[in-house]
Order: sequence, then structure tokens, then C-alpha cells
Amino acid sequence: MLRGAEIFLQCLRAEDVDLVFGYPGGAIMPLYDALEGSGIRHVLTRHEQGAVFAAEGHARATGKVGVAIATSGPGATNLVTGIADAKMDSVPLVCITGQVRSSLIGTDAFQETDVFGLTLSLTKWSRLVKTIDEIPAVIAEAFYWAREGRPGPVVIDIPTDFLKAKMDFAGPVKFTPKPRPSDPAVEAAFGDKLISLLQKAERPVALIGAGAKLSGAISELRSLLDELNIPTFATVHGLGAVEPEAPYYLGMVGMHGTRAANMALHENDLLLVFGARLDDRVTGDPTRFAPHSKIVHFEIDPAQLDRVRACELPIVGDLAKTIPAFHKKVRDAKLPNWNEWRAVACGDDRAELDPRGLSQPTIRFLDELFGRLTQNSVVIADVGQHQMWAAQRYRSASPRGFITSGGLGSMGFALPAAVGVQLSKPDATVLCVSGDGGFQMNIQELATVRRLNLPIKMVIVDNKYLGMVRQWQQLFYQRNYAETDLSDNPDFVEIAKAYRINAVRVQEDVMREYPVTEDTADALERFLRSPEPELLVFDCAPEANVYPMVPAGAALSEMLFEEE
Amino acid sequence: MHAFHIHYRNTQGTLMRILTAVSRRGLDMPYVQACADERGQRASLLLDVNTKQIGQLCRDWYAIVDVIEVKVGTPTAEMLDSAAGVLGAHPPASAGVIGKNASAAMA
Repeated sequence: MLRGAEIFLQCLRAEDVDLVFGYPGGAIMPLYDALEGSGIRHVLTRHEQGAVFAAEGHARATGKVGVAIATSGPGATNLVTGIADAKMDSVPLVCITGQVRSSLIGTDAFQETDVFGLTLSLTKWSRLVKTIDEIPAVIAEAFYWAREGRPGPVVIDIPTDFLKAKMDFAGPVKFTPKPRPSDPAVEAAFGDKLISLLQKAERPVALIGAGAKLSGAISELRSLLDELNIPTFATVHGLGAVEPEAPYYLGMVGMHGTRAANMALHENDLLLVFGARLDDRVTGDPTRFAPHSKIVHFEIDPAQLDRVRACELPIVGDLAKTIPAFHKKVRDAKLPNWNEWRAVACGDDRAELDPRGLSQPTIRFLDELFGRLTQNSVVIADVGQHQMWAAQRYRSASPRGFITSGGLGSMGFALPAAVGVQLSKPDATVLCVSGDGGFQMNIQELATVRRLNLPIKMVIVDNKYLGMVRQWQQLFYQRNYAETDLSDNPDFVEIAKAYRINAVRVQEDVMREYPVTEDTADALERFLRSPEPELLVFDCAPEANVYPMVPAGAALSEMLFEEE
Repeated sequence: MHAFHIHYRNTQGTLMRILTAVSRRGLDMPYVQACADERGQRASLLLDVNTKQIGQLCRDWYAIVDVIEVKVGTPTAEMLDSAAGVLGAHPPASAGVIGKNASAAMA
């Protein structure tokens, strides 16, 4: 006879779980009581939101399922932002929440909330466990759905009495889904239709999203793109899928995308979309999005098709299968010569106005840091101006080299996510870039960093504002900086020292020299190579803005630039 | 008006997920019926939606793990009759009788 908690943990091990993140409390105590000797390492964060973001970081860095554990009531509600984040960014995540005793459910018992109900619209699947017997089947099904198709979050809510109860355990089980009669099959003839569209196209382009990376078909994708040799760009989550030095690659597209990428997306007449949702940050005004385009959409999740514009050719299926099938057709086909179009789209006329970022010390600073990173590095960006600067400037060739909360835009994501990444990749240089607003949203995780002695390199781009909101207030609300002034920020260096973490402040003036002085270069090297956790606070000009910028409701071709 | 028939396995929360796909768009649901049928469980909804919304809803429903099939059709007379009272008043009923009662209570 085993306790429910022991069965639960054995089933987690059977799903290849060896690392979980969480925070204990009343209803989940039996699970914690059984942890020792289970073969599962538990990482204590200092807030449940830290746990769920750390689990996301682990999942995003490795492709494995992240697991977060919390107790009932406030413990569970503190997971909700992370669950929504995982849903938007297709992160495989299993959240385990303790629940009050089954006999108390529905009585407004102490620390009782309807976790199942409140996470219903944020999860792919969820279960409130109703008997101890169903624990193995529920866990097997939860992990299946977290991984299957478009990955996403699931929730298991388990009453505390089932964790304490005992039963005979025959071992973990496997879940096999029931077939659906109307599951869409990939249309066998899609390749011929697509080749026909390509042969008629004069200005084809390719847009790469997260789905291309999640499929694992990166080498196939790169090989296909090399063969097509058409202007190509990526969403923020598609960064790293394309070799950044490829001559046809134009960088990030969208609200803060490069001038070249946005212009090519506006002007093309055939848009090949590989695993992107086409959300409003990518499309700008949807009524003026890619006005001349026929759209071919490679997508695993049919729910993402036609959200913004009807596509000419939807290709529903795993990109790991559809990309090679398409590539085979491309090899056998005679395609037009698009040299002239490529020369326009990738030409110098559309290059960045300030490629070295000399007018913007923060960009210089990030360039100096990123330029010193090896390929075995992961940059985690929080949410805001620094996130967009990092996305614009970090040119990783690794599909999991740049991690950020792109869909939900959750401030406070980066520091706990970096904990999950560093634990998953102990040999990697993990660089966590935050703003002064976001860093304070999960600043308590400095304690986790210290406790585990994780050599995370933390950067705060400190402009003493909620920078991105302030930028919008400046540009679209007549400089009415309502409640975005953070000039009374605490001294981050002193705070870090209180957590026994090395910290230093760097003034932006040191980045006005090109190249940087030897002293500055040495200091950056020491910061990145230190075996200890380190914090660097970079003083950023309060009114520095992120450009290019497509204003909300504008077309992608209507970008604002620094000089305007 | 369009009638939607969603066949699903009656697992925890599946009906709520089906309805949430509608409510998150702020759409009124003048007619909803959920019942067992020969293929498991069926939810029938009457919704005033455009072509684009039909596509989005059908795809959202189909993405729900235990939804088996989604069909769109013409509303039956029964659906339209049941919905007639609800369709007329917006906000429903409260502007009339309930409003008077509320006024009386406050007086």
C-alpha cells in the first residue's frame, strides 16, 4: 500500500520529471512530505509566481514539460499568470495544486478556491481528482495533453485527503487518446498547390514563428529557406530559428521589428507563414496587413488559422512533417528567379539607420554584452523596452537561445525563468535582462538565486520609469506620464548585497565611446565570466525610446523612427 | 442566426470550455441546450455571428481536447421560438418588471 502522494510522485517520475518548482502550504503538505527519496528535485522559490515562471524557463530551455506545485487558495491563484503565459506561448506545463479535503469542497473552506473553474479558459486540459484510484490515469493524461500538438498548460487539482489515503499501486499507466472522426489530415496535394503559388509569385517572403522551433524541424527549415532564398523574418518567438547571418534574413518583424522586415511583410505578394499566430503585434492594423499577399499558413493548431486574414492555403499539421514534404516539392520544381525582389528587400536602403546604436547608449551596452556571449548562452528578457532592444540586437543561432514572455507580456517573468534555465543548463551563460519595473515584480527570487548559488548574470536597464508605457504616453498621450515615474526606486545594488549577491552600477556615459575603453571591456568580461551570481544595474536615459515603432492601429509600413 | 451542434465527451469542464469560447467574445447565447445523444453528448447553441466568427468559434471548439465534432446549420423552429423572448429585450427583462420591483423596494 502506498500513499496517494507517493503514487503521485512515482507517476511524475514515469513522465521523466526530475525537477519541479514550488511553494508548500497546507493542502499540498502530504506531497512535500513524500518528496524525499522520490528521485525528484524540488526547487523552493519565494513566491508561487516565481515557481511557475521557473518551470516555464525550464520547459522553454529544454523542451521538456515544466512542473509547478502550489497549495490551494492563494497558492493556486498565484500560479494563474504563469498558466496564462504558458498558454499564449505554447509552453508545456503541468501545474499541481493542492485542494481542501474532498468533503469540504464547495463549503468555502479555509484556503479553498475553485482552481478548476478559474483556470478553465487558460488551460488545454484540467482535472479535479475525485478519487485516489484515478491519480495514475490523471497524471498520464495531463502530461500527454501538455506535450501533444501545440504544447500548453494543464492543471491537476488534488484534494489533500487523496494524497494522504493509501491504496495498492500497480504502477504508472500510459494514456492513449480516443480518435476523433473528423481530425483534419494534411492534404496530400498541398505541395502542388503551393508550388503553383510560388511559381506565380513575384515577391514571396517567409515568416518564422515559435511553431517552427517547437516542431524541432530547425535543420529542415534552414535547409528549405536556403533553397528558397527569399526574404525571411521572424516573430519574437521565432528568433533563433533562422541562421542570423543568412543573407536573406531580415531580423524581427512587427511593432518593433526591423525596417527591412516590416517593409517586406507589407510589400510581398506571397507570404509563407511557418508556425506563427499572426497576432496584432506582428500584423499591425489587420485590415492593412500584407495587403497584396496570398497567405500560406503552416500550422499545427487549426484554431490559429484565419484569425486575422483568411489564408489562401492552410496547411494543418506538424511542421516536422509538412516542411520536409514541402522541401521535397521545392527541390523538384522549377521556381522563378527572385534576385531582383531580394535585392530590394535585403538592400542597403533598408538597413538600420544606426547599426551600431551609437545614439543610444543602452543599445551599445547590450551589443557589448551580447557580442561577448558564446553560442552556449541563453538570454532571458523581461517585458518592456529592454525586451525589444534585446530582441532587436541579440542574434542567436540557437532556437532556444532567446527566451521571453512574448504573448502575454508578463512583467516579472525573466528572473524566475532564468532560475529554471540555469538549473536546466548549468554550463550555459544565462543572461537575464530586466527593466527596473519588472525586476521588482519578482525581486524575491534573488533569494532563490543565492540559495542555489546560480551563476545567473542579471542586468537591470534602469530608466526609472515604466519605460514602454512612458514611451506610449510620450508619443500618444501628450507626454502625460501618469503613474509611470519610478524615480523613487530602491537602490538595487544595496538590495542585491542584502541577498549576498555581487552588484555594480554602470553609468550610460561609458557607452558613449566607440569602441569602449579597455576598463569597460574588462569589467563586462568579468561580469559575464564570474562563477557567482552577479547583478549589473545600467543607468539608462529616462526618455530613451525603442525604434522602429509601428503605432497601434497603423500599418507595418507606417513605422516611426528615432529622427522623427 | 446560426445553429451550432458540438459533439463532445462528457468529461470535466468540457461543456464549460465550449461555452467559454462564446462568452470570451462577449456574444449573447439566446439558446443553449446540452443533452446526451447517440454519439455521447451534444451542445446546441444559437448565435448571432458573422462568417469570420463562425470560423474562429469552430476552430476554438475543435481545439478543446474532448470535443469530437462541430457542425454549423440552420436554426430549427424550436430554437428560434425558445430564443424569441430573449432576443427581444437587451438588457433582458430587468428593464421592465424587475426594474419596477427594484424601484418599489427602494422607495
